[in-house]
Amino acid sequence: MKEKKIRNIFTEGAIPAQQIADDIQKHATQTQIGAHSIFLGQVRADRKDGGTVNAIEYTAYTEMALEKMAEIRETLFAKYALTCMHVFHSLGRVAVGEICLFVFVSSQHRKAAIDACEELVEAIKFQLPIWGKEILDNEDSTWKENK
Amino acid sequence: MQIELLFFGSLTDVTTVSRLIVENMTDTELVKAYLEERYPALRAAKYFMAVNQQMIQQVHTLQPGDVVAFMPPFSGG
Repeated sequence: MKEKKIRNIFTEGAIPAQQIADDIQKHATQTQIGAHSIFLGQVRADRKDGGTVNAIEYTAYTEMALEKMAEIRETLFAKYALTCMHVFHSLGRVAVGEICLFVFVSSQHRKAAIDACEELVEAIKFQLPIWGKEILDNEDSTWKENK
Repeated sequence: MQIELLFFGSLTDVTTVSRLIVENMTDTELVKAYLEERYPALRAAKYFMAVNQQMIQQVHTLQPGDVVAFMPPFSGG
């Protein structure tokens, strides 16, 4: 069996909007691509008992998450005709309104990119060992739950 | 024989540490029983276990140097 390639997906703090523009620009040389599907996760100011969310602090079991991500990546490349796939997830503190997840999937035609992107976001949320602690405006905290 | 235990997310509120070394535990049931004795709040907690980064559903025999992770439901993204 081919050795899975482990790539880092974690980045400290928020993902800057400029990085998203730069990454799109970098793909301009790959002229076989006809479709990019992008998902951005933004930290939401949810109201909780005792306060409003100010930030999320992310932690992960990084070795296991990267191993699992490599598996998900292989599965999606086998299932869809993709040209490339990039995932960036924040660790540490990300403030409300900032980007904590950037998923970028490219293919020749739109359907593969759109479907793979959706499946990838669900897999990231439910299969990667990552946890978010919501920091409230009164400095209390509560553990985030994915729906 | 030493086994390394890792705790993540809300479980670290219960254990107050993210890593423990335990001795002479030959399977995951023994580890669980030991931890639930030491941290009674774990009994009410929902969590998954992984041995050497592989999720386990049933009791698993341990070898020296194994790493057992205790993980609450994931909440990334």
